[in-house]
Amino acid sequence: MNKKQIITFAISLTIIIAVFIIWIINGTYVFTQTQILIEKKDALFGTTYKEWQNKFIWGLDLTLIISAVSIIASTILFFIFKVKRKRKNEINS
Amino acid sequence: MKLILNTLLLILIYCITTLPQGFDVKAKGTQTFSFKDDKGRNQATFHSVTPFDEVDGLTTAISGQVTFDVKDIKNTLKGQISLPTESLKTGIKMRDKDLKEPKWLDAEKYPAIIYKIKKVTNVQKTAPNKLTIKVTGDFYLHGVTNEVPVTVTITYLDESAATQAREPGDLVGVTANFSITLSKFNVQNMILGKRVSDNIDIGVNIVGTNKF
Repeated sequence: MNKKQIITFAISLTIIIAVFIIWIINGTYVFTQTQILIEKKDALFGTTYKEWQNKFIWGLDLTLIISAVSIIASTILFFIFKVKRKRKNEINS
Repeated sequence: MKLILNTLLLILIYCITTLPQGFDVKAKGTQTFSFKDDKGRNQATFHSVTPFDEVDGLTTAISGQVTFDVKDIKNTLKGQISLPTESLKTGIKMRDKDLKEPKWLDAEKYPAIIYKIKKVTNVQKTAPNKLTIKVTGDFYLHGVTNEVPVTVTITYLDESAATQAREPGDLVGVTANFSITLSKFNVQNMILGKRVSDNIDIGVNIVGTNKF
């Protein structure tokens, strides 16, 4: 592995770890949500009711998509840098 | 002596179970309440838990009416509430779309979910204007009707400045929690596998007015 390949690998790994950390912090939901239900108090009847509130919750689906894109991109870059290295070596020799 | 005591006990049980039981409020006679609410305050929620996922849903498009004698809920309560299948929302647009597909609730073919009251038992007065009752009714979902027992709490509020801020007329607040089994309504969890539980917890929280 050359330096560029190591950097690519490190960035990819960092992205994957970061998105999984974000997913865990957000509550390990399976699906990404854009709205959540919040409870509100009905003072007249002394009951509670629910309302939708706009809130983005990071889900496993988004985590896997970003991880997959990161793996594919880094794999492509890994081979591009490998080929460039080979060509450079051929020119030098 | 024993026979007399047993007879008295039977008479007492009969009286307790058949005597009219209702609210101690200003209103009298038979009242009809409508649950149609354009402000979207009336709601039904549903909740599903599986090891893999948790789904919460809500609709505010509830309509329906109930009629009862204020002093005799047990023998006079009639009515139904309904909601459009299309109105169910889970907070994820793609899942909402799946929910209404033919393999799930099939909103196009079965556009409404309906609960129709059949009989009332176990009336318990928890406050002068508050009753907890057990209602048995027909629950219609996905083209199938099943009898579903529901424990309902009804709060009656005579018209006042506080109630008028909400809606004109006397108000009844109805809360209920019960469960249904999806497979009994021929909903087979086809699309999402077992990510949705067969047992769905349903909560209802609605307010009706007699001036509509």
